Amino acid sequence: MTVTKIVDDNIPSKLDLVPGFITAVLEKLQVLHLDEDEVFALKLCLYEALVNAIKHGNKEKSDQAVHVIVKTNKKKIILEVTDQGHGFDFTRIPNPTTEENIGKFHGRGVYLIQNSMDSVKFLNGGRTIQMVKVIK
Amino acid sequence: MDIKVEKINDIALVTLSGELNMDNSNTLREAFKKILKEMNTKVLVDFEKLSFIDSSGIATLIEMFQNLEKVKGRLCLCQVNKRIIGIFEITKVHKLFGIFENRQEALRSF
Repeated sequence: MTVTKIVDDNIPSKLDLVPGFITAVLEKLQVLHLDEDEVFALKLCLYEALVNAIKHGNKEKSDQAVHVIVKTNKKKIILEVTDQGHGFDFTRIPNPTTEENIGKFHGRGVYLIQNSMDSVKFLNGGRTIQMVKVIK
Repeated sequence: MDIKVEKINDIALVTLSGELNMDNSNTLREAFKKILKEMNTKVLVDFEKLSFIDSSGIATLIEMFQNLEKVKGRLCLCQVNKRIIGIFEITKVHKLFGIFENRQEALRSF
């Protein structure tokens, strides 16, 4: 089945650009007639992945960008978010739902992504997160 | 996101509408700080018109929950839509807050 690229864009590492960027991506996805649950999940994962890439990956350096690719084969949507940082050890992400972590302010982003998408992979030493959502 | 704060007896009622995300969670944090500064210890947040939340919004609620705990206060939420409830359940933070289906029930719980 043919895979169509819907988005292939760079966003500068500025957090205030994130909401507008996500709105533009979701507008481009309207052609797929996704239901509200799917749109909610994709929006959530884009927020979490972009904020992680800008804050933790690129350390908000204005000369670094985050590369976003969104592609689909009409059965699933693949989101890839890549930063220009040093990567991270994605095998050691703390579980935010344990008793000692539940009251912490941060550390829920990846967990939310993993529980909202059908599959999640870290590539490129943790610089790229690939998220797949099966379309109902 | 719009934030409306009003007082019902001794309860601070915070009504949110729109989306709570990394772009505006600081605005809610400031509203919560003002509520605490005015010595309110009972806080109800009405989610009826809130359509979206991300992890920064959750962090803001947890911070308020903990600040209220320090003064023996209480944070409750009401009219939370099913998708946001789903996010709370994934992260287990629904265990921290009192969550009520409707506003009257939540107000009576204080």
